[in-house]
Formats: sequence, C-alpha cells, structure tokens
Amino acid sequence: MPRFLKEFFNRNGLGVGLVMLGLVLFWTIGLIILPQLSMLDFSFRHNLPPPAYGGPSDTYTLENYQYLIFGPEGGSQSFNSVDLRVFYRTIIAAMFVTLFNLILCYPIAYYLGQSKGNHIRIFALMLIIPYWINEILRAFALRIIFGESGVINTVLMGIGLFDSPFDFIRNDIALYAGLGYAYILLMIFPIYNVIESLDRNQIEAARDMGASWAKIHRRVVIPYAKPGISSGCTMVFMLSAGALAAPQILGGPSSLWFTQLIYQQFNDNNDWPQGAAYAIVLLVTCILLVLAIMRLFKVNMGDIGK
Amino acid sequence: MNLSALRVSVWIYLAIFFAYLLGPLVIMSVTAFNSSQFPQATPWECLTFDWFGELFRDERILNGIKNSFIIGAGTVVLSVAMGLAAALMLTQIWPKLRATYYTVVIAPILIPGVVLGISTLVFWDRINRMLGLGPDSFLSNGIFLTVIGQSTFIASYCLLVLVARLQRYDTGQTEAALDLGATHAQAFRKVLLPFMRPAIASAAVLAFLASFENYNTTTFTFGQYPTLTIELAQKVRYGINPSISALAFIIVVLTVFFALLNESIIRRRQLAFAARQNKSVGEVTSGVKLPRFLSGNPAAIVLVIFCIGAVTIVGTATAYSPDACIARVTEEKRLEAEQRIQELREQREEERRQREEERQRNFEGVFDPEELEPGSDAPEEAAPEDDGDSGFGNVFDPGNLQSEEESEAPQEDGNTGFGSVFDPGNLQSEGEEEGAAPSDEEDSSGFGNVFDPGNLQSE
Repeated sequence: MPRFLKEFFNRNGLGVGLVMLGLVLFWTIGLIILPQLSMLDFSFRHNLPPPAYGGPSDTYTLENYQYLIFGPEGGSQSFNSVDLRVFYRTIIAAMFVTLFNLILCYPIAYYLGQSKGNHIRIFALMLIIPYWINEILRAFALRIIFGESGVINTVLMGIGLFDSPFDFIRNDIALYAGLGYAYILLMIFPIYNVIESLDRNQIEAARDMGASWAKIHRRVVIPYAKPGISSGCTMVFMLSAGALAAPQILGGPSSLWFTQLIYQQFNDNNDWPQGAAYAIVLLVTCILLVLAIMRLFKVNMGDIGK
Repeated sequence: MNLSALRVSVWIYLAIFFAYLLGPLVIMSVTAFNSSQFPQATPWECLTFDWFGELFRDERILNGIKNSFIIGAGTVVLSVAMGLAAALMLTQIWPKLRATYYTVVIAPILIPGVVLGISTLVFWDRINRMLGLGPDSFLSNGIFLTVIGQSTFIASYCLLVLVARLQRYDTGQTEAALDLGATHAQAFRKVLLPFMRPAIASAAVLAFLASFENYNTTTFTFGQYPTLTIELAQKVRYGINPSISALAFIIVVLTVFFALLNESIIRRRQLAFAARQNKSVGEVTSGVKLPRFLSGNPAAIVLVIFCIGAVTIVGTATAYSPDACIARVTEEKRLEAEQRIQELREQREEERRQREEERQRNFEGVFDPEELEPGSDAPEEAAPEDDGDSGFGNVFDPGNLQSEEESEAPQEDGNTGFGSVFDPGNLQSEGEEEGAAPSDEEDSSGFGNVFDPGNLQSE
C-alpha cells in the first residue's frame, strides 16, 4: 500500500476512509470524468443500430463534426449555414445576456454589499425567492407577460406607443429577458460576497483624495471585485449558452438555440453520436471562451466558485 | 452628485430591479384566478378558483410530483454523501493535487446541464451494454439515470456549502475523541457529524430544490419517469392554460412561507441570543406590545399576515362561486358578438343593394351565382349562439359555416353535379334577403360549406 494511502487510512480509520474514498472516486471518476470521455468517444462514432456495436462497421469517424461545418454530404450548400448560424447566434446572445446581467446586477450587488441593516436581509430574501421557483415556471411567467395580450403589450398600447401588439416572442426580446432573469442570482451573489468584504475605508479614502464617483468604482471597487465579477460572468455565460428550457418556451418559432439542435438530434432524429458531437463542440467552445476572457482580464480559475 | 438625489436614484433603481425580479411571478400568480381560458391578467374576466380544481384532477401532474419526490430523495442522499466525502477529502488531499482536484469537483457546476444529461445517458448505456443487460435493466431505468445525472452537479453545490462549514472545524476535536478511545466511526458519527449538521441540512434543502427544478439534465435521462418539471415543460410548450399558473401560485406561496418561517426563526434565535447577552431587547421592540414570538421580528409579523391571507383565500375559495360572473361575462361576449354580426349583416346588405342596382342596370342576374346560394333564414337565427369561448374565437360558431365563399363556389356544398339548380332558394324572389353570412373571420372558409345546415334543406 502506498504511503499516502496508509496515512489516509490511519487518519480516518479503515471503514470511514474506504467509504469516503469510494464516494469521491465514484463521483469524480464515475460521474464526472468517465461520462465526459465516453461522450467524447461516442461523438466520433457512426450512428449504428445497437446490434452493430463493436462490429466491423463500428469505426472512428469525423463525420459528425463535418456535418456541423459542411452540412450533409452531397448537400447543395458548401457549409451547414443553418446550424452554424444557430451556434454563432447562441454564443453571441449568451455573451450579450451576460453583459446585460453584469450591468444590471453590479449596482445591486454593490448596494447590498456596502449597506448595513435589517432591510438587507429582506432584499436577500426577495432575491432568493424567485430562484426557488421552477425554471420552467419562471419562463412561463415571462411568456404570460410578453404575450400578445400580455401586460406589457396592454400597457404599451394603453400609453399609445404601439397601435398593434408588438411580438416580443418573435423578436427574441422575451428570450433575452428570460435568460437574464433566470441567472440574476448567480451574478449577484459572487459579486456581493466580494464587495461585502471590501473595507469601506478604502472607498472613503479615495473619496477624500478627491476621486469622482466613477473613478472610485473604476480604480477601487471593480479591481477588488474582479474575482466575483469573473465567476458571476462565467456562470451566467455557461448557463445561458447551455440553457434549454428558456429557449424552448420563450424562443421565437424561427430562431433556435444551439441546445435545441442537440435536443433534436437526440430526441427527434435519434442520432446520438451527432448530438454528442454537437454537445462537445458547445462545451469546448464555451470553456475556451471563458479561459480566453479570464486570461484577458487576468483572473485565476481558483477564484471561481468561491 | 447631490447626496439625496443619489439616494432617490438608488431607490428607483432598486424598485425597477425588484419589479423585474418579482413582477413576473406576481402577474403569473394573479392569472391563476382569472377565468379566461388563456393565462392573462388583462382583460380581467372573473375571479375563479376552478384552475386549482383542474390542476388537482390532472393525473400527469400528480404523477410528475410523485416522481420528482422519489428522484429528489435519491439525489439528496447521494449528493450530500458525495459532497461531504469530497469536502473531507479536500482538507486532506496532497497539496499539489488540490488545485486539480478542486477544478474537477467544481467543474460540473459550469458544465451545461444538457451536456451532463447526454454524457450520463451515453455512459450508462455503454456500461449497460458491456454488462450485457437488456434495455429494461436497472442501469437504464429513468429514475436511476436522473438521480445519477443530477447528483453529478448537485454534489458540487453541496460541496461548496459543506466546505464553508468544515473550514471552521477544529480537527483537534476528532483527535481528542480518538485519544479517549473512540473508534474512527464513532468519532465521525458523534463529533464531526453533529458539528456539520446545520450545513448538511442546508445542503440537503439546496440539493432537493435543485433536483426538483432541474430540467436540462433530466430531459435526457428521465425515460419512463417524467418529473414535474418535465410535465410542466411539455404543457407549457404545447398549449398553456391557467392551471399551470395555479401550480405556480402554490409553489410561490410555499416558497414564501418557508422563507419567512426560516427567517423568523433565525431572527428569533438572534433575539434570544441578544437577551442572554443582556443586551437591551427593549431597543428592538417597538412601542406596541406584541406577543413574544413577534416582538422585534418583522419576518414573523409578515409571516403571520401571510398565513391570515392564505386562510382567507382558502376560505373564500370554498364559499365563492364564480358561476354568476362567468355567466355574465359569457353574456357580455355573446352580446358583443351579436352586435358584430349585426353590423356585418348591415354592411353586407348595403353591398348587396348596391350590387343589385348595378345588376339591374346591366340586365344580368338570372344565372348570377348569388342566386344559387342555398341558404335559408334558419341558420341565421342560430348564429348568435356564440359561447364566448375566447380561445377559439368564433371558429365553431354555427354562423361561420355559412361563409362568404358560398356564393362564389356553390359546388363545394355537395350538390356538385347539379349546382343548385334545384335549390328551393332559387324559387324565392330576388328581393328576399338570403342568409347573409354573419362570418367575421377568415378561418371559417376552411370548412367550405360542408356543414351548412342550409345544405340539408337544399337536398
């Protein structure tokens, strides 16, 4: 038995140690690492009926990835413009949603982090309550509001801004509002946690030195809150790029989210390898983007999730 | 910037922000009480509680709730156990490996749920095949797959909660227990677990809520066991009605109730603690003398008001019957529709008169298709029987069946070969007003005139 294992069991006892080790290994290897590797492997396979698995035709192939870029073989177009456009749109829209959330949430997080008193607990409660409501129901609520006879259209037409109802769903406004809505808490809490620990004296010192309100934020608060901002942005970006419920419920009939394509490959086309390939593309792109942006803003991975 | 102006703008911003956050939920809850077939707050029709009845009669929703609870229980057990083990491991692991290990266990939070669902499905399907099991084995069971898939990332949430508490644990306590002769299992159960209990409780609640509301992962793994969220998503995607709002209202109420309860208990403890420290509780209590549970505890006061409100609503629901109001709204709609029909009829008549004049001027009119119209006055009387069903518009309005196209295409009505040569209507004089189609919607044209009551008479 290696030394570190012996030490480990000495410290925890054989029984507790074994259970602990078993659970951790099951989680990290059996639930996290192996399934991802298995999906990666699967994405390089042909779509075969179950009896053909392991047979002579069960070889590795790039066709699933080629399909995303070039479309079906012998197709009329040189590129799979439909799927690629959906992919591009998903990434751009997820970035936009992240930015929107950051701008919306930063003042709130700053306010909550810097003020003291009982009402802060009430605000925190009001923030958390919507997050406990089912994701589907939250999307449903927005659909009611943005619907053709919804409250917003009624109000806008009442004011006289529009003559006929504005189709928020077809124009994807409902979708962006819904995605932003769904992840507000994930943006606020990391920023709040960091700003709460910011010493108020620093801000006052800056103010005494004559720094303007904007400058205090730019030079003192934001650099300090960077880990919180980056982990909030990372979570919101990853979750909105990978969202499925909100696009299904709030998305316009003509516009798709990339996850919906994955869903279609799995459930409608029954082409699992193709779906796995799309999922891999989504995952890898998102991770690379996040890493690139973190490098750009000089943040460490270890700060995420704190 | 002026300080008071700043303060006002902060409050305005907060108000807008919370309106965005809570407004949708409030409006959704309100729609549960509107009798309109489509969930909407405006125009308000009638106060009704029927949607709750409809909700509880829905077998699929009830079955979904049952599955959600089973899966939630499984997920809580598995993910709290894994999260605790991983948190303990984090404190002991070889420092060089710690960063990598931390990345691995935190990663599931960031991996899109869709990807987790797919990888779980693909991986266990492969294991299942390697073991040579059939498609209905335990490993491809929807409940098993969903618990596994959800636990993959929910355990990370649990880990974060548990680590926060574990960092304050003094390992000297365990060592002391071991020195006093406890076994490792005893030290774990009697020393570490009691210390971790509050964190374990919050991790369990968090895990259950996360499991209950999860959609992205579950949608790939649920198999034969759709959870409540899956059922809701299907309902919302394929035709919505206010019974979903009713469910949402119940969930909102339960959430608010438990949040307030939790808050007031915490506050109560704080107050008790302050009292024990001999700090003046008088500072927090206001002039009004309140029961002890409520004193200086705004959350508890809100909670009580909230409960009274809930009881009132339930009380009203049992006593109140919306039938009268619904009947009135239906009547209003009927009148409105009738008025519309009347207007159309007059308009139609006007046009007819003009055409008639023109025709007489042109010496036409004998074989004019207008005359072939087989309608009679009978369906016209039935026409205003609009049931006020806003969702369907007037598609099923019997009056619609007699559409405008009728006059242009009389062949469609089943008399094909003969046109309407034998139509008794032909015998009628020109001046008589024939069934002016009261239709106001294009939808009706799709039916042709196949169901025109007039057709039967014309045979």
